[in-house]
Amino acid sequence: MAAEHLPFKVADLSLAEFGRNEIRLAEHEMPGLMALREEYAGSRPLASARITGSLHMTVQTAVLIETLVALGAQVRWASCNIFSTQDHAAAAVAVGPDGTPDDPRGIAVFAWKGETLDQYWWCTEQALTWPDGETGGPNMLLDDGGDATLLVHNGAEFEAAGEVPAGSDDDPEEWHVILGVLRDAMKADPAKWTQIAGQILGVTEETTTGVHRLYEMAKAGTLRFPAINVNDSVTKSKFDNKYGCRHSLIDGINRATDTLIGGKVAVICGYGDVGKGCAESLRGQRARVVITEIDPICALQAAMDGYQVATLEDMVETADIFVTATGNLHIITAEHMSRMKHQAIVGNIGHFDNEIDMAGLARLPGIRRNVIKPQVDEWVFPDGHSIIVLSEGRLLNLGNATGHPSFVMSSSFTNQVLAQLELFTKTEQYPLGVHVLPKQLDERVARLHLDALGVRLTELSKEQAAYIGVPVEGPYKSDHYRY
Amino acid sequence: MGGSGYCSDIADAGLAAGGLARIGWAERAMPVLGLLREECASKQPFAGRSIAACLHVTAETAVLVGVITAGGGQVHLAASNPLSTQDDIAAALASQPGVFVHAKTGVDRDAYYSHLHRALDGEPDLVVDDGGDLVNTLHTERPELLPRVAGGCESTTTGVVRLGQMAASGSLAFPVVAADASVTRRMFDNGYGTSQSVIDGLMRATNLLLAGKTVVVAGYGSCGRAIAERAAGLGAQVIVTEVDPVRALDAIMSGYRVLPMADAAPAGDVFITATGSRDVIAGPHLALMRDGVVLANAGHFDVEIDVRALADLAVDVNRGIRPNADEYVLDSGKRLILLADGRVVNLIAAEGNPAAVMDLSFAAQALALMWLVSGEAGLAAGVYPTPAAIDTEVARLTLAAHGTAIDTLTAAQQEYLESWRHGS
Repeated sequence: MAAEHLPFKVADLSLAEFGRNEIRLAEHEMPGLMALREEYAGSRPLASARITGSLHMTVQTAVLIETLVALGAQVRWASCNIFSTQDHAAAAVAVGPDGTPDDPRGIAVFAWKGETLDQYWWCTEQALTWPDGETGGPNMLLDDGGDATLLVHNGAEFEAAGEVPAGSDDDPEEWHVILGVLRDAMKADPAKWTQIAGQILGVTEETTTGVHRLYEMAKAGTLRFPAINVNDSVTKSKFDNKYGCRHSLIDGINRATDTLIGGKVAVICGYGDVGKGCAESLRGQRARVVITEIDPICALQAAMDGYQVATLEDMVETADIFVTATGNLHIITAEHMSRMKHQAIVGNIGHFDNEIDMAGLARLPGIRRNVIKPQVDEWVFPDGHSIIVLSEGRLLNLGNATGHPSFVMSSSFTNQVLAQLELFTKTEQYPLGVHVLPKQLDERVARLHLDALGVRLTELSKEQAAYIGVPVEGPYKSDHYRY
Repeated sequence: MGGSGYCSDIADAGLAAGGLARIGWAERAMPVLGLLREECASKQPFAGRSIAACLHVTAETAVLVGVITAGGGQVHLAASNPLSTQDDIAAALASQPGVFVHAKTGVDRDAYYSHLHRALDGEPDLVVDDGGDLVNTLHTERPELLPRVAGGCESTTTGVVRLGQMAASGSLAFPVVAADASVTRRMFDNGYGTSQSVIDGLMRATNLLLAGKTVVVAGYGSCGRAIAERAAGLGAQVIVTEVDPVRALDAIMSGYRVLPMADAAPAGDVFITATGSRDVIAGPHLALMRDGVVLANAGHFDVEIDVRALADLAVDVNRGIRPNADEYVLDSGKRLILLADGRVVNLIAAEGNPAAVMDLSFAAQALALMWLVSGEAGLAAGVYPTPAAIDTEVARLTLAAHGTAIDTLTAAQQEYLESWRHGS
């Protein structure tokens, strides 16, 4: 191992025992993953897979990682968000089920809560760099938001161009950091990313934002390896986006502020799956929920679900809670925030931190940031009124709470493992492009979770199956069916 | 007792067979009254007694009447609302021994009051009222009958308020049990029954999809709260109007928008009044409303929506554009749809409370009447809440009818709950 390479980097290995206890509890709540471990314990179909994961380093992700390991894979990992790592989970994964803090035997994980942007991209690069491997890189990516894919693609692109561009003052701070990482890499090895990209059989992408990037790359002809869009499995998007956010949004707001939600006016920007779950959870607490939308279909859905649909402009001065769930940028501007009620709560549950203009807020003349506690900031305007911003505009359900609960992540991650198996073991069936998992695998993920909930499934008779024209064992719905 | 000179005044005695079939259907959904009817048949608590009743003449009321007659009583029934009388039920009841019915659907005010007098002609020992008109008429116009009245019960909040005023001024001559305020009544009647049947009435009268609509509910009492919940459950956005800050806060904390009616008027698609007050939707509000709004009243009287102001504003009225729906065309060209003439919409455009709800409500009244007539009550003139024992008995009978078993306190639990010595 080269001297500059650390075997892993986490905040505090002494947290490993706590992390292991939580992982043990989570395993019980993740029946899909545990069923796959049982099924593939003997065959180890991921043996010889070298998987780099870029995904929130939480307790649930630890169960995913250890499932991949149980299926034979070697794994290196980074978080995909600077705040989302649970340090005890990272420690437990580094120590591994058979190691101790003094003798860690887990996987190479590079993640801690509260990374700087420089540290974040260093971690991502570490996860992509396989010092022991012959090729120096992974042969599979497991991505959430597409940052690992982005680094590989941009690195290879700049290597082909022969230089890393300088970047301009208009570019976000993060882009300059990425350019810096790639510039340093190019100095050390001008073919590093090209070589890594060439070895990668494919990527399985977890989230809407990352999937969007993949389709853009495929359209532009710049995609370098096949991708499976895990996000659009029904058992991922509905469960993770809708039911998961329904659970963790109010958890985040409660832990951050302990504000009574009942009776408040809450604005949810975006009524996609995430927005629907958020609206339902706040309504369940008896907030009055108002939706903003740009898509007439989603807006009509919100109205038919009984929500007021307004523009942010209509609500900005009267609402108590604002949550962005759009996947788009510049939703809540600094100007909006300056007009909000005293101590209005502002948070984002979309993947990236560009939905709320934090940089613009910080640039307002005379504004003052008062840190209440980690991930809870009071921003005081010159006139004395203030707002409360959660997780610095990054996704608050992970920053202020613990993200999705284990059961939801089991549904999501079981898709991930099946997608990894598909790409790794049936590579020839997935040509360059972006694919979704076959519906039967989607149904399989659901099946693996029914027993734990005491669900008794009715089986089609042969006559019934023939009558509706589906096999008895599925798939039961057309690809276009909207669940 | 017996048929001594009394006769019914009903629309059409020929409707009796159909009415009896509907009463039989209601009886299936009213198992608690069924249990009480068995008890009354064996104990005869009303033997030789005359009972004057002013109630909505519906199948459910008929089942209550059946309990009283099974217990030996003679019933003189008048309608508590000229529009809610179901003539087939009136005919069916009038065909029964010991029952005299004075009710026809759609009668005018004079006939309405003459029916109250005919019910009082039976020289009641007990009175059963719904809205307070019968008791009021008894005190103001038939005081000679007062000495023999042992007591009564009143079904609605509106009536209880009126009786309370009578009692406060010293005019009430006998004890009245306020059946509106019993826990089981509020829970089932206002909470579950009225709300379901108000939405039912709205749907039958308009066939309107509520999802996506803005429904303004005036009043957040036990009826209004439940109506709001049902409307929200169907996908409507609900706006509540209130005068009581506690209830307004309750509505806010339940996640509804609370606005003054003047602000709600231009925002709503459907307006439902459930306040017990008058002029809740008044002329100035009507003028602010959007084209095509629907106006319905769930309160007891027809004063919550100012129908006269609506008529004054209208340049044209298209009556009966659907059953129980009249279209008022304003000068501006805007059309406002008034349901059931602004009278209680759940009774007129739908079938009132489902029988299962009235089962509890009437069971409490039957038990209250049994208690009053037994002489055990020993009450002075005044308005009394339903005794807790009756509430408990109603709930017990209802659970028994549903086949639901519950736990019983152990002696140790009983002792613990009654003791002040146990600390942490």
